[in-house]
Amino acid sequence: MLRRLPLPAQIDRTITLGGLLASVVAAPYIVVLGVLFATGELSAPEFVFWLNAGLVVGGALAAVLLRHIVHAALGLVGASLGVAGIFLLLASEFLALVQVLVYGGGVTILLLFGLMMTRATDGPIVTDGAQKPFAFGAGIVLAGLFVGAMLDAEWDALNVTVVGFRELGIRLYRDFGIPFEVASLVLLVALIGAITIARREPAPGEDDSK
Amino acid sequence: MIPLENFLVLSAILFALGFYGVLARRSAILILIAVELMLAAVSINMVAFAAYLDPTRFTGIIFAIFVITVAAAEVGLALGIVLRLFRERASANVDEANSLKW
Repeated sequence: MLRRLPLPAQIDRTITLGGLLASVVAAPYIVVLGVLFATGELSAPEFVFWLNAGLVVGGALAAVLLRHIVHAALGLVGASLGVAGIFLLLASEFLALVQVLVYGGGVTILLLFGLMMTRATDGPIVTDGAQKPFAFGAGIVLAGLFVGAMLDAEWDALNVTVVGFRELGIRLYRDFGIPFEVASLVLLVALIGAITIARREPAPGEDDSK
Repeated sequence: MIPLENFLVLSAILFALGFYGVLARRSAILILIAVELMLAAVSINMVAFAAYLDPTRFTGIIFAIFVITVAAAEVGLALGIVLRLFRERASANVDEANSLKW
């Protein structure tokens, strides 16, 4: 039945191969998690957390390391869906929904659109520069600094409580009304700016006002 | 219950990965993808703090909503700039956008 899908052969191959590769990489991780869950080492929320954390880190690694730009964009989709799962675990359903809609949908479509406009899809291209070792070192130092600081601090954490749509809406529109309106203005200005910048220049002699 | 540190460490790792991507990549669109990763990491951090430390006022969740809004605006605007750059230079490689170099 899969063969009947009206997809271009290249995309079809990419999805099939990529899915196969991803499941081969992810299978041992999921098996280990499942064994730990079955033996009672992990509670159900922890099981979901580690699943989502694996998705986030794996997707981010794919987005940062893969040489083919479309594959990197698909890695970003995976990481975004994982982040939505993390938001669900943190009991903020609204943010999880928005994350899936805005990142899984809008941002990715925009990025792929940009890829096609810049003709970057013609095979793997060299995307990484000579600064790679320096970037690697800087990333390691940053990660070490953050992880060390966060593990060092003492947090008197409370229990996670669910923030419902109703409370969120009341808080957003009652206490953050003006920032909300400013955000809509920011979006409007950004879109007008994007159109103005990306617009084709009129050819010499052509009337601009048309 | 999951300790708060798990979420913080996850967001730190995600942020460092995005940082590496921004520094190592040369294609403008791949740099944008890495910036999106960093923004997602910051969102995780703020939502985790809101859920664990401030469950009655949850200011962090409101902040995350604004982060997502600004990220969407930023991607739209940045892609406009990348398209223009590509039209001027026939390349989306940021190393070649050096006309401001003295």
